[in-house]
Amino acid sequence: MEKIKELISNKLPNAIIEEGKYLTITATKEDFRTLAEIVRQNDVLCFDYLAHICGVDKDGKLGVVYFLSSSADMSKNIVLHTSTDDREHPELFTVSDLWDTANINEREIYDFFGIRFINHPDMRRFFLSKEWKGFPLRKDYADENPLSLESVEIDDHLSRLTFENNEVIEAEEKVFEDEDYVVNIGPQHPATHGVLHYRVSLDGEIIKKVDPHCGYIHRGIEKLSEGLAYPQILHFTDRLDYLSSHINRHALCMCIEKAGEIEVPLRAEYIRMIMDELTRIASHLLGWSCMCMDMGALTAFIYGMRDREKILDIFEENCGGRLITNYNVIGGVMQDIRQDFQKQVSEYIKYQREKLKEYHAIYTGNVIARGRMEGVGIFSKEQAISFGVTGPAGRASGFHCDIRKVAPYSLYDKVKFNEVLRTEGDTFARYIVRLDEIEESLNIIEQLIDGIPDGDFRNKPKPIIKLPAGEYFQRVETARGEFGVYLVSDGEKTPSRLHFRSPSMTLVSAMDTISRGEKIADFIAIGGSMDYVVPDIDR
Amino acid sequence: MSSFTTYFTSLFKGIKSLLTGMKVTIKEFFTPKVTECYPENRHTTLHVPERFRGELIMIHNEQNEHSCSACGLCQMNCPNGTIKIESEIIETEDGKKKKVLKNYFYDLGSCTFCNVCVMNCPQGAIKFENTFENAVFRREILVKKLNHEGSKMKEKKVAEQKPTNTNKE
Amino acid sequence: MFDFQIVTNWFDELLRGCMPEFWVLTIEFVLVGVILLTLYALIALALIYGERKICAFFQCRLGPNRVGTWGVLQPIADMFKILLKEIISINHIDKVLFYTAPFIVIASSFLAFGALPFGKGMQVLDFNIGIFYILAVSSLGIVGILMAGWASNNKFSMIGAMRSGAQLISYELSAGISLLTVVALAGTMQLCEIVEAQADGWFIFKGHIPAIIAFIIYLIAGHAETNRGPFDLPEAESELTAGYHTEYSGIQFGFFYLSEYLNMFIIAGIATTMFLGGWMPFHISGWDGFNAIMDYIPSVIWFFGKVTLLIFLSLWVRWTFPRLRIDQLLHLEWKYLLPINMVNLVVMAIIVVYGWHF
Repeated sequence: MEKIKELISNKLPNAIIEEGKYLTITATKEDFRTLAEIVRQNDVLCFDYLAHICGVDKDGKLGVVYFLSSSADMSKNIVLHTSTDDREHPELFTVSDLWDTANINEREIYDFFGIRFINHPDMRRFFLSKEWKGFPLRKDYADENPLSLESVEIDDHLSRLTFENNEVIEAEEKVFEDEDYVVNIGPQHPATHGVLHYRVSLDGEIIKKVDPHCGYIHRGIEKLSEGLAYPQILHFTDRLDYLSSHINRHALCMCIEKAGEIEVPLRAEYIRMIMDELTRIASHLLGWSCMCMDMGALTAFIYGMRDREKILDIFEENCGGRLITNYNVIGGVMQDIRQDFQKQVSEYIKYQREKLKEYHAIYTGNVIARGRMEGVGIFSKEQAISFGVTGPAGRASGFHCDIRKVAPYSLYDKVKFNEVLRTEGDTFARYIVRLDEIEESLNIIEQLIDGIPDGDFRNKPKPIIKLPAGEYFQRVETARGEFGVYLVSDGEKTPSRLHFRSPSMTLVSAMDTISRGEKIADFIAIGGSMDYVVPDIDR
Repeated sequence: MSSFTTYFTSLFKGIKSLLTGMKVTIKEFFTPKVTECYPENRHTTLHVPERFRGELIMIHNEQNEHSCSACGLCQMNCPNGTIKIESEIIETEDGKKKKVLKNYFYDLGSCTFCNVCVMNCPQGAIKFENTFENAVFRREILVKKLNHEGSKMKEKKVAEQKPTNTNKE
Repeated sequence: MFDFQIVTNWFDELLRGCMPEFWVLTIEFVLVGVILLTLYALIALALIYGERKICAFFQCRLGPNRVGTWGVLQPIADMFKILLKEIISINHIDKVLFYTAPFIVIASSFLAFGALPFGKGMQVLDFNIGIFYILAVSSLGIVGILMAGWASNNKFSMIGAMRSGAQLISYELSAGISLLTVVALAGTMQLCEIVEAQADGWFIFKGHIPAIIAFIIYLIAGHAETNRGPFDLPEAESELTAGYHTEYSGIQFGFFYLSEYLNMFIIAGIATTMFLGGWMPFHISGWDGFNAIMDYIPSVIWFFGKVTLLIFLSLWVRWTFPRLRIDQLLHLEWKYLLPINMVNLVVMAIIVVYGWHF
């Protein structure tokens, strides 16, 4: 890290380098492009994984924050800042050619902050329609968009900004050619698992191009959070990726606890972790069954749902909710576990191990399923890192990205488990990683379940929680990959900016690259193997 | 020759894998089914955990007394504006002015069941109950008045003796 | 064994005794048509119920259990629902093709259905190219599917119809050749003669290995022709929403639905007739006592029993496997089924020529 610091200060003497928990570098708009290139391409430690990228409206300036890790050593992180004073026509340079994941994220920033990125290949709004007035996440945004029941055409023209002779030139292009055979997969389609809309251009059965169109259930959680106190925000996290609800909430709780220096009792940590792993199993089961359903095996789908039900029952008994568990609170968990919790979970572990064999028998070995999964939708490790594809999908490509291993939180450094890694990067690898992870999660729970210590399940914090001014990051591993919380506090009881790094959004952004040249049936199978959750994309 | 053998081995392997799958399904065909016959089992095997958050209620004792002091903490803490408290100031017998609860409105339709209101209640006056059959035909019915007709606040001493509800710590 | 022909002959003579031949024939045609249509509808209802229940049992569920005891009235409720549904008229479609397509589909399956021998003497059509006729009319349905896909002016429907075309052309080959294997063994194409020839042992036993192979291949190919999972690519719910019938509603969709179920029955019926002895009871030559007991069971029960068994098999397969991809589908046909089938036909021919069958 010292060397990186030296490198930057040599090349860019104007950059402001701060050292806190993370190495933070602030550069001007002009310098930033050079800074990004240094960070991405150097011999010392190349930060090739862009975890967070989010816009911030702070002190009247519109800026972008980049949180980077190195795939070689994910515990090494660096934070980059850049901003512009111009609120009328804010323009910054894109980094989408350095990190592919920036492509879709920069579109989101344009959508919410109005920052346009020069040299970005596809500068359309991402969630909102073209007609939307204003940029909602700006602090001075006043809502002037009446509820409209008119049908809105999808924006089919993308504008590209290029920078020549100190002048920004705008050029328009079309997303699809006129003669393309474009099929709508979604927003109401059995295989998109929600209101996600892909426009797919086909050549016979072969896919030529995929254009995701999101925002059908965007609820503006990040904007809502800016007006609410910390305990009130918590319940939104359950509704992001509703299948990893518990883990998401864990992330935000941890972020607030670390920022506010609130201690969590050991008992609560144990309970949280067991619940996290149960959530992961439930989510993987659902992912597995939905993938089977997408490929036409309805019976396998029901088997998965049947076994997931057992976990939901445990949640319901202990947390009071099945899907939206609402269990983590700042300082611990909401209620103590019930007395028969350990017994129930141990029984479940035994049951699930038996059932895993059944899954393999009915589906993994099946010659049709194998033929449809093997060698289809290959995604290389480099692509996975560049697109920021984490979780089972990333690990199937060989990306060593399990946050539980690389940046352990809670008690993950105390338990023994394997990070399931595969190198094929095809649909089958993504499929089998998920099933193997269920096995690993069962092992983790088994190590914890009998050792839950006595004591408090919650340290009650002060009634009004105020976090010291500053910016905070927290990353956790959900069932879909790295979920991140980026929190900016002004010292008030409400956050000034709260951004969630959504693992599903990166998965969706990679769909175009993965599925080009595959068949339409494979597109569905790949989508199933990626296992994205739509509310997590739309937030 | 080798392609010839792979042709047949792949054929037989394929058939074997298909038969394994069929073995699993036929086994499940004869195992007991997991379907719950709701609503027939409503009073028999249906089990709704007591912690399940179905709807908010105000705890009343046999004398039709609640312990809500109309302090408004729940209303303030609700992220969705689900709770509306109407209170009035009355004069007690000893001449002191006291705020008492008039109406406690709870909109089930906009509640997200986050439990923040229950956790913030200093009196333990409200709790979530595990009733779940909340479907109605009109949205207005979902706005409920939680304090019973003619109920009044419990005397202080009684409130202290009464154990606070399990959700609150 | 009761011969149903006694009843039909008696009825025929009764009518002839009191009216001219023209009216006799007209009344008989109408009567046969009505009986067949009723049977068609009843079998469809039974199949819908059976499928839903069996599928549920494979999936650890109970299936329909609200309408009537064990939900037996569910398919009737479904039928009323589908009859009452609005037929949505769609803009920019080829109206003639769009509205005729369901009729073609159902007519083709009905024509094939009529030619099946349900029991001893219970056959409407019995001419010397019976099996050829069934093969010909049952593949007419594809025309309807292609028309539906084309006329809907919908991209999903179009892809579904094209897939269906590719699938049917391929699998028709296998189905035809595997039936040809039996024809080679029986030496006739007439259905009643084929059944009679199995009086001393069903063809699946008589023709030993080649007959068994032909039977399995016919089941696979026939299953594929019904467009049901794992060969439901033309519908492919999770890919093409509903494939060729995406735009259909109400009774028009009901026709597609009905014919799909009946096709399943027809395929099972043909397989029964050709391989499992049709309505012929299970006989073992030499065991006269046993054979006599078997003869007590009416021929209709034998036929429907065997068909039910085959339908169960088809449902079992359907609810176990994932859907094939279009290239896998064609691989299976052209790389496995067709070559095996052709070799099988040659083997059968040799067996028949040398008289090695039983």
